Amino acid sequence: MKGYIKPHSCAVGICLFLFTNHLFAIVSLGTELEFEGFVKFQNILRTPKFKSAEAIMQRNTAQLEGKYYFLKDSQAFGLFNTGPVEEATLTVTGRGVYDSIYDVRSSYDHAFSKADGRYGRTEASLREAFVDVVLPPVTLRLGRQQVVWGETDGFRALDVINPLDLSWHWSRESWEDIRIPLWMARGIYDIGKFSWFDESFVEAIWIPTDFRENSISTDPRKPWAFTGNGLNKTANAIVKEGLLLDLDTEMRNRRPNKKLTNGQAGLRFKAIWGDIDFSLNYFYGFSADTGIRVQKHLSQTIDNTFYTVKDIVNPRTHVLGFTANYSDERFTQSVLRMETTFTTGIPVKVSADAPITADPDRDQYDTARRTVVMIAADRPTWIRALNKTRTVFLSSQIFWRHYVDYNQYYRGMSTVKQATFDGRVVSGKYITENTDLIDRDEFVMTFSASTAYGAAGLLKPTFVMAFDPRSTGAYNKLKVDYFWSDNILLRFQQHIYWRGFNNDPGPWGLGDIWGQTSENSRHETDLSIIFQF
Amino acid sequence: MSGVLKILFFLVLCVFTHFSWANDEQSYDRLYDWITNPIPFEPIETGTHLGLEDRSSILEALIPQSAWKYYIFDGMDMEIAATGVYPAPPDWGQHMNDDYHLDDRGVLVNFKGGGFPFRDIDGADPFAAQKVIWNMLWRPGQVDYVMPMTTWLRGEGGRLDRKLEFTSIASSYSRGDHCLVEGYEEVKTKRVMEFRSPRDMAGAKDMSISYVDHERENSGWMYMPSQRKPRRTLASERTSELMGMDMIREDINGFGGKVYENSWTYLGTKSVLATINVPDNPEAGGPHLWVPHKTRWEVRKAHVVLMHPTVDNHPYSSRIVFIDADTNWTLWMFAFDREDNYLLRMNQHYLKYSESYAYEMPQQAPYIKQDFSENVGHHVFLHLGESDINAKKPHATVTHCYVKKREFTEARAKQFYSLRNMVSGRR
Repeated sequence: MKGYIKPHSCAVGICLFLFTNHLFAIVSLGTELEFEGFVKFQNILRTPKFKSAEAIMQRNTAQLEGKYYFLKDSQAFGLFNTGPVEEATLTVTGRGVYDSIYDVRSSYDHAFSKADGRYGRTEASLREAFVDVVLPPVTLRLGRQQVVWGETDGFRALDVINPLDLSWHWSRESWEDIRIPLWMARGIYDIGKFSWFDESFVEAIWIPTDFRENSISTDPRKPWAFTGNGLNKTANAIVKEGLLLDLDTEMRNRRPNKKLTNGQAGLRFKAIWGDIDFSLNYFYGFSADTGIRVQKHLSQTIDNTFYTVKDIVNPRTHVLGFTANYSDERFTQSVLRMETTFTTGIPVKVSADAPITADPDRDQYDTARRTVVMIAADRPTWIRALNKTRTVFLSSQIFWRHYVDYNQYYRGMSTVKQATFDGRVVSGKYITENTDLIDRDEFVMTFSASTAYGAAGLLKPTFVMAFDPRSTGAYNKLKVDYFWSDNILLRFQQHIYWRGFNNDPGPWGLGDIWGQTSENSRHETDLSIIFQF
Repeated sequence: MSGVLKILFFLVLCVFTHFSWANDEQSYDRLYDWITNPIPFEPIETGTHLGLEDRSSILEALIPQSAWKYYIFDGMDMEIAATGVYPAPPDWGQHMNDDYHLDDRGVLVNFKGGGFPFRDIDGADPFAAQKVIWNMLWRPGQVDYVMPMTTWLRGEGGRLDRKLEFTSIASSYSRGDHCLVEGYEEVKTKRVMEFRSPRDMAGAKDMSISYVDHERENSGWMYMPSQRKPRRTLASERTSELMGMDMIREDINGFGGKVYENSWTYLGTKSVLATINVPDNPEAGGPHLWVPHKTRWEVRKAHVVLMHPTVDNHPYSSRIVFIDADTNWTLWMFAFDREDNYLLRMNQHYLKYSESYAYEMPQQAPYIKQDFSENVGHHVFLHLGESDINAKKPHATVTHCYVKKREFTEARAKQFYSLRNMVSGRR
């Protein structure tokens, strides 16, 4: 700890605190330059099975967002006329993170060393950097950015353009903060009213070379490592022909590399027909979910070790989608939403004992086609017993995922277990097995309720529930924001995982995989202080 | 001993009597009485500064009784100006269609703007109240602006809970015999509003489309930076408080709801004090900093309209709106709690006539500088702000608007007020 927290860092921190504490809003420098941002101190306490508690994260984040209005009213830099180009701005967002838990907790000293680069301790990144250009009827956004399509909250069907960084807190953070921005060009051509359509436009995106996959940590020393359903360990042994062998796995990167032929592109038409707001979408890209292809012909046993080679792949995908929403003012007083997609190239694991008809390449890997249908309703609702002055915003979704070309040997989450040999537990040896049969039809339902209390609505509780009716796994979140001032936001969050019956992990990362009966229990209490300006 | 008890009983009675009188001052019945039984007042000379000492002789006669508690205070300073004449734009009423009518619920059908639908209000007309409201809803100058705003949410004693900054940009599409954008004849107005601060709301923006057909609900979308996509919003829920502010959507401009969801009574005209042509965005005064202070007021003749929501679960038992009889702008609004018929919410508006910008410039928004001189020549009122008070909390929202008139070209309006503009935002 001594080596990492220095007096001048403290001074900078205190100055930053005082500085932000006296800032009300966006900081303007002249009329062209604006800055805003936040400093967030996030503390997460994990309570495995509610029997013990350990601090797993003390993530300190500083984000600075700058906007430069260099072209206004067809005048660039106030100097020359730009003709049809009416406006242009440059937006740059940078983020720095320092997770002090690695310095505070002595137990992590053994887990991470400087040789590891203190993985997860710090991050400094250019989150977004793009230029917006208004050239009516065209608008362009060029640069590193996030693009979100679709109507779904919290699950992905059409929202697949940017991958997610699930490595540090799974998907439990605001997706704005965990989407991985990509270098791309986005252009919108405004059409307006034509034929039966109103407010119509065509949007095109092109990602020339910047492919990224969803980022998942598999290092069990990381607090949010994903090691499947079972022990939070990495398999280091395998049972082969009745023998317990050491396992040595070589992972080969076969992801798409940065070249133009690996570009991704999408097209969307959005309009209003009658009172229905709809869109037709197509995205040609790579799956952000990574597949593992076992190279059986390169695997061999030498002495007491089984050497295996696996390729990490992200197959090409086509995503075809349709979305719609309708504000039913008369009967239900709800906004009804729907989204449906047809996706090819979904990487799937195939059981090691699958017959050759199910796995002709013998690589325990396949790509599948899948459809998704999501229907949802949002309703501001008066529940006067809970709140007399403001409505409660209720939102619910049903998400149905269906494998078009289903294979009964498709497998989901693997399980890491303690190795046993001759009926005895072998210390320090872990094997993996996968008996999680994927269901052809998968469902998840979500519900959220939020409102505001207090004279100025400064106390904002939100309740979230996600439930998988097949595995009976569920996730609950209670979040309470309190605005101490315009600059200071206090946030409390409680995450709970549970399951009704059985031991089916389900496909959604919900339920007891991180709950009461698992060895990997991850109920959490999250307390954050956010200074915003 | 019994003497002591009698004194105690008397004191308790006095305290109860005092509180019941104080509360009673804000009952619906008291305001109704105040309207129907005018209090005589002394004539006021132009330039007079009214203070607390003028309470019984003038102020109680000209300030609606429900507002006395907030607007009459020690140290108050109301400068009284001559009652002004504020002509509408020269071409106002020249380009109206004439094939419109009121249906049997008082709903205006087929009106397209360009003038007041009802030039004369006859108190004996059973639809007089609705006609006043329609004139207010179609008044000149209500949109076609760029309007940066600052809002202070204050508790008792002036405690500042929140300060919001946002900008509203709106245009009228329906202009009588023509529409701003050809092909959009069904649209009355379009508005885009974007928040600037605090940061948790910065970049949030919404687009709202209102329609000429009063039966049709508005269309709305909200873009939240945290979601990076627009979300459809429901328009028919108008009775929840907005973003911590002490107002509901139906309170906007005194009445922003649906005519057919209320029963209506015209209560005649009444002289009231109004901040109808203020020199500047007024400073906040009173013990809680909830009301305009040290600014210019006029005695104005106002139509008084009483409405009772017909919807069962509406929070209001009734609403009384004072609308300037000459300009049709809302001056005061009082809404009474369905539970006890006492004041729940009220608002009062600060206006400035565009031609006064030629000799008297109000302040700029703290975060943007605009050329207000271009406001001259429009012959309309500009909304410089309002006080919204929730009497039950108690709490208030005071808003300053820094309005610049702006006429969009057809091409610009088409581009700006579009769903395309809502798919991305500040971040």
